[in-house]
Amino acid sequence: MFFISLLGAVAAPFITFVSTLVKQHKFSDQTFLFKAFFTDVNFYILMLIGVPIYGVITTYLFNREYAERTLKNLLTIPVSKVNLVFSKLLLLLLWILTLTLVSFLTATIFGFIANLDDFSIAVWLRSLKEFITGGLLLFSLSTPIILVTLLIRNYVASIIVTIMITMVNVMIYGSEYSALYPWSAVEVITTGHFFKQYAAFLSYMSIFATSILCLILALFYFQRKDVQ
Amino acid sequence: MSTIIQTTNLTKKYGEQVSVHRLNMTVKKGEIYGFLGRNGAGKTTTIKMLLGLTKPTEGEIELFGETLLRNKKRLLTRIGAIVETPGFYENLTARENLLINARIIGIHKKRAVEEALETVGLEKETKKLVGKYSLGMKQRLGIARALLHEPELLILDEPTNGLDPIGIKEMRKLIISLAQERNITILISSHILFEVEQLAHRIGIIHKGELLEELDMDKLHTLNKKHIEFLVSDESKAAYILEEKLGISRYQVHEDGIIRVYSHLYEQHLINKELVLGNVDVFQMKLSEDHLEDYFINLVGGGTIG
Repeated sequence: MFFISLLGAVAAPFITFVSTLVKQHKFSDQTFLFKAFFTDVNFYILMLIGVPIYGVITTYLFNREYAERTLKNLLTIPVSKVNLVFSKLLLLLLWILTLTLVSFLTATIFGFIANLDDFSIAVWLRSLKEFITGGLLLFSLSTPIILVTLLIRNYVASIIVTIMITMVNVMIYGSEYSALYPWSAVEVITTGHFFKQYAAFLSYMSIFATSILCLILALFYFQRKDVQ
Repeated sequence: MSTIIQTTNLTKKYGEQVSVHRLNMTVKKGEIYGFLGRNGAGKTTTIKMLLGLTKPTEGEIELFGETLLRNKKRLLTRIGAIVETPGFYENLTARENLLINARIIGIHKKRAVEEALETVGLEKETKKLVGKYSLGMKQRLGIARALLHEPELLILDEPTNGLDPIGIKEMRKLIISLAQERNITILISSHILFEVEQLAHRIGIIHKGELLEELDMDKLHTLNKKHIEFLVSDESKAAYILEEKLGISRYQVHEDGIIRVYSHLYEQHLINKELVLGNVDVFQMKLSEDHLEDYFINLVGGGTIG
């Protein structure tokens, strides 16, 4: 599963690389910069590819004990349900950060292959910060998927939810509502492109309120649910 | 002998459906307790409540003299269990699966995993992934995992499910040796009565969520009645002859031509003679004793597939 997720992490840099080559061919007199390239890769990750990929990974981690029928074993050791959830959250965080770094490093390599201009350590580090910020914020928004997984214990449900989330991202991108919708608010915060209608803290609130509420609901449900 | 498991009015309801109703069970230290019942009787639900996997609707559970609700974490470290079919990480070997468990439990003894595998005869399976194991091997690995931390109480939910006759026999030998050599208290649930009869010291019979009876196997043997078992060609005619010609009323007619006579145990020859004279063929005649299966069927009734 991890190696498959690596392929997913390379997808956004690769798509952007191909798109850049096409543009370079079409508009040969234009200058193509590393900064813009990194921004485009991060955009694809945050708005399109990241949510479904991270959603599947989340479901894989939280559904595994049900799928392999090892939950009864763990709970009778005993491992507490709260510890189990937080252990998996920690692993999910490491996994998402790893994929984020793979995407970023792959983007760097593709940028050099495409012969982009304006590379500097400052640009590189600033872009790295944006990638990691986006990764961390998307990680915090994994809790709704955790809740869905614990409720329904099925990949299909999680995939449908992540697709719906992504579709809403696409629909409201560019409008001021993207500052309030948690998943598009990640891109707004990462790029710093806030809207004057809504203060920046509302974007942060939207993300963390969703994250914390769904985490509490997930823990509450998991604690109360009998093991079948 | 001290009590290891004590339940008081243990009840589990799912909405309107009562799965376990006011169950009062006692398991004593060092004994093998056979927890018997038909499919759906409430055995697994009861075991899940004992292990804290399912919350009781009412009632109390005491393990090792302490309330489970308040001391769950500490009490569970003294118990090893298999609940239904044991689950493993199928992309790992047996040793790797047990090592994960050992690390989570915090077992520092270096040979703990090896000893557990040796106990169940899986020490030679070094490279085979658990995903390729037969059901019997998985059951044995489940027991190895339950024994890893040297528990005082072993709870086995239908451990012989899916095993072939040799596997069942091996499992029985293992369970008996665990009880005798390591003095582990064992609660084993099953609907295979013959197997439980071979190894349990006490049994509890559960039916539709209620514990109908708890008794020692020694007492069961005295209750189980000696009888003469006849295999005849016409059981109705044979029953008539027993009543009208011989005045025998204590008998039972079973299926497939079997009649059991619970009196006149040393007058088999007279009974045989009257049956033959009455044109009833007698194919077989033997002195026998009711088994646990007979006792169980008399207690819970039959007639449906469970």
